[in-house]
Amino acid sequence: MKKIETSRRRFLQGSVALCVYATSSFSFTSKQNSSITTIENIPYLCNMCRNKCAGFARVQNNTITKLNPNKYFPKSRNMLCPKGNAGIQAIYDKDRLKYPLIRIGNRGDGRYKRVTWDEAYEYIKDKLVTIIDEEKDNRSTIAYCNGEGFNKDEYIKFFGSKLGSANFLDEGSICLNTKLGATQLTIGDIGEMDVAGSDYLIISGANRYESLITPDSIDMIHSKQKLVVLDPRCTVTALKADEYLPLNPGTDLAFCLSMIYIAIKEKLYNETYVKEYFKDFDKLQKHILKNNYTASWAESKTHIPAKKIEQISREFFGAKNPLYYLGRRSVWAQNDFQLRRAMVLINALAGSVNRKGGIIFGKPFVLKQEQINEAFYNNSQGRFDLDGIVYGSQKGGSWLNFREKVLTKKAPYPVRAMFIRKHNIMQNMPNIAKTKEMLNGMDLVVVLDTMPSDTAMMADVILPECTYLEREDMVVSFNRLEPSLALRNKVVEPLYESRSMQDILHGLGRKLSKPLFAVSAKYDEDLQESIEELGAKNAFKEGGYDFTELYQNSIEQRNKKLIVSQFGLDVYTSLKTKGVWHPYIGKQKELYNDYYEYYPKEKRFYTVDRKYRVNCYLGKLEKSGFDPMPTWHSHYDFKLSEDSFRLITGRYITSTQTATTNNIMLKEFQEKNHLWINDRVAKKLDIKEGDTLVINSPIESVVIQAYPTNKIAPQVLWFAHGFGTESEELTNAYGKGASDNMIIEDKFEKIYGCATMHETNVTIRKL
Amino acid sequence: MMANYAMAFDYKLCINCHACEVACKEENGIDLGAKNHRLWIDEDGETEGDFWNLARDKITFIQMQCQECQDAPCLKACPNGAIYIDDNGIVRLYKEKCDLTLACMKACPYDARYIDEKNAITDKCIFCADTRLARGETTTACQITCPAKLRYFGDLDDEESEISKILRERKHFTLKPELGTKPKLFYLE
Repeated sequence: MKKIETSRRRFLQGSVALCVYATSSFSFTSKQNSSITTIENIPYLCNMCRNKCAGFARVQNNTITKLNPNKYFPKSRNMLCPKGNAGIQAIYDKDRLKYPLIRIGNRGDGRYKRVTWDEAYEYIKDKLVTIIDEEKDNRSTIAYCNGEGFNKDEYIKFFGSKLGSANFLDEGSICLNTKLGATQLTIGDIGEMDVAGSDYLIISGANRYESLITPDSIDMIHSKQKLVVLDPRCTVTALKADEYLPLNPGTDLAFCLSMIYIAIKEKLYNETYVKEYFKDFDKLQKHILKNNYTASWAESKTHIPAKKIEQISREFFGAKNPLYYLGRRSVWAQNDFQLRRAMVLINALAGSVNRKGGIIFGKPFVLKQEQINEAFYNNSQGRFDLDGIVYGSQKGGSWLNFREKVLTKKAPYPVRAMFIRKHNIMQNMPNIAKTKEMLNGMDLVVVLDTMPSDTAMMADVILPECTYLEREDMVVSFNRLEPSLALRNKVVEPLYESRSMQDILHGLGRKLSKPLFAVSAKYDEDLQESIEELGAKNAFKEGGYDFTELYQNSIEQRNKKLIVSQFGLDVYTSLKTKGVWHPYIGKQKELYNDYYEYYPKEKRFYTVDRKYRVNCYLGKLEKSGFDPMPTWHSHYDFKLSEDSFRLITGRYITSTQTATTNNIMLKEFQEKNHLWINDRVAKKLDIKEGDTLVINSPIESVVIQAYPTNKIAPQVLWFAHGFGTESEELTNAYGKGASDNMIIEDKFEKIYGCATMHETNVTIRKL
Repeated sequence: MMANYAMAFDYKLCINCHACEVACKEENGIDLGAKNHRLWIDEDGETEGDFWNLARDKITFIQMQCQECQDAPCLKACPNGAIYIDDNGIVRLYKEKCDLTLACMKACPYDARYIDEKNAITDKCIFCADTRLARGETTTACQITCPAKLRYFGDLDDEESEISKILRERKHFTLKPELGTKPKLFYLE
């Protein structure tokens, strides 16, 4: 039987099928002339997902013909994943945004006219001057956002430090801010997990073999540690685990609480470590024992047998270098912050902090920052998206709280314009209808991107950015245990009329600086005084109102100056020729089969001199009416009415959110998503593989094909994120599969304001 | 230079990430389309039982491609004499002699060949012989990109090569040995 969701080619003994001719992959056409061209191998950093693995791009005739891994980078360990390999199809994607565009139809209908860069800038300038004038120089009326990536800080410098808006949003509140915050607030640092050094590894939900994180995923393959995986879905990570513990969704916290209970009750924890580093251990002990988080209690919540919980707990605390993996993916439920804290506490109870195999602090290279002259605006108001959030990220804020306040007009002032870069907000957060409504309420929406995403289709102005293979970016410091520097070099010149972000902002800055300065001069009394005192020209210059200040020199010049002054010319040369520098780059030892040792073991920063405490109890939370310690509440129990299902989401190995589903090479592996449904449940409902189903959630419904399998829990449904694209301009992705965020309810937890992605219950019916 | 190229797989390390498949298609200019490929991962077996008591040990990911038979059925089957073994011990094709009788495809017990419509030939893995090896590189596209580094590629006639060493050190098997095709692809236990 033909199987969806598994290998695309089964072992077809003897059978031969003639295939439909498709266009050839790009490398072939350029390969024809390889004998007469010279080959260059240029080091670059990948951008197909958040990892930033290093590679060498083979260039012939000014065309990239192959991407290969870079053996010098400790982080990516001389490999490129399927997405990294398919990056070549990202630069040569025929659907790319090629020219600046201005909307001529309605928002979302995809009708645009091609304009020059100057016309696009002029259009933006006219709108911005009007809006900021009408808002009496409250710059925060212009919100701006940027998904994950290298240039985020420069983007913030432009719209925050120069233009003066407080409303910046990023992916953190629809990703992993609870985990970062939980680690920071519990041990004083976000740390780094030493997967390679651990001899016993527990992973809750994170799917490290289908959502690769470097070096974690690679280290798991090459290490010999025992791997225990908890997941309501048998992922490839679970398939490869030594022990797989299937559990009810959202009950990982009960498992963790029970591990803490067992550690305390049986005195399995590292007493010396707890004595030296723990603060309020007595409170934690009392709390855990009082609530009686026994293994059999946890069994009733999680569906994991009590004996198994006891066995795993004893093994974990008995191991030399155990690690409870803190996860790296979207936030699941209301208890996510305390779930991550429980994980940190489990590591700390085992003494697995600031030592081999644990959460390490390490010693990253700290790069000097280029100083810029920040402009100050008296009439610019503060951000409002953290109102009602206990901690929250001051940098990236809370997307759902922001959107809700803008939509319901509960924000203290109107947000009238939005600059969106590398952030597909029409697909990346729950309840797409609300994002659409928010953007429809704006007077100006500008999108900087490489692809005509669903979000780009909502823009008034589209500014085509070049891809990661067509630009140099500022040098970046990576990792803590085996720190290194890496540089994204430009491989080929930008195609079409696309430009780097710096070039785009430079052009925009030239256009905006003076007219917007004039608006400020109208409303800002301090600026009026300054003009009177210094004259307009000097007030402009000294007040930091020139938006182009950062871009007076090219990225290439800025990198050279920064790197040479801090690290010397040799390091700069290494970054330009190898893409990477670390202190042992010339002495890397090949362990086997092109797999390397980077830092010698004795030189890695497993343990550093650091004063810190492990905070069991967070008083601020108690004052705000939240649990100061990880606690179970009855409403966390997994209980559903008989005909409903809990919807959970995740990824395929070949896709990174929505950014890769249009990739013509990756499409071959997973053209669309399917709904995972428990095989026995499906049988009862007479649902067969490939049947078309409607999934109804409280907010919307989607249509998707069924994949009955024994690899998912009975009352749980799963389908991958990244599909169900509505933009017809993405010709490979359009109309393929379903979008999870169409039906996921927009709930968020109140500690970090993060969207909770696994709290939506749905029903299904056959179409 | 002459060599006797072969490949060994530490196959249990595979996470079925498809990096090898993409790297191969990009390096060798294989036509797009899921059916056109020189190599693939065979997902062998299924999880058994019900979800709460799942048996996972039946699933294996097996790296599949031309097995580089030393007694190659495809070579014997071709009515045009288009298939030969080159100086490096790789089963190759005289492209101009191939007229798509498909005899080789029918003869291959490993389903290693597909029809390359663009060139009107049957195509299969040749260890990147006309791309990477021709440029003097010593790795195949699939080997160097693999996150698990589970593919050992090298010269069997060189006793010091990594593949020779690992085959001396570790137990291994070949696919369908009963057919007597003498494959040069080895799976490490």
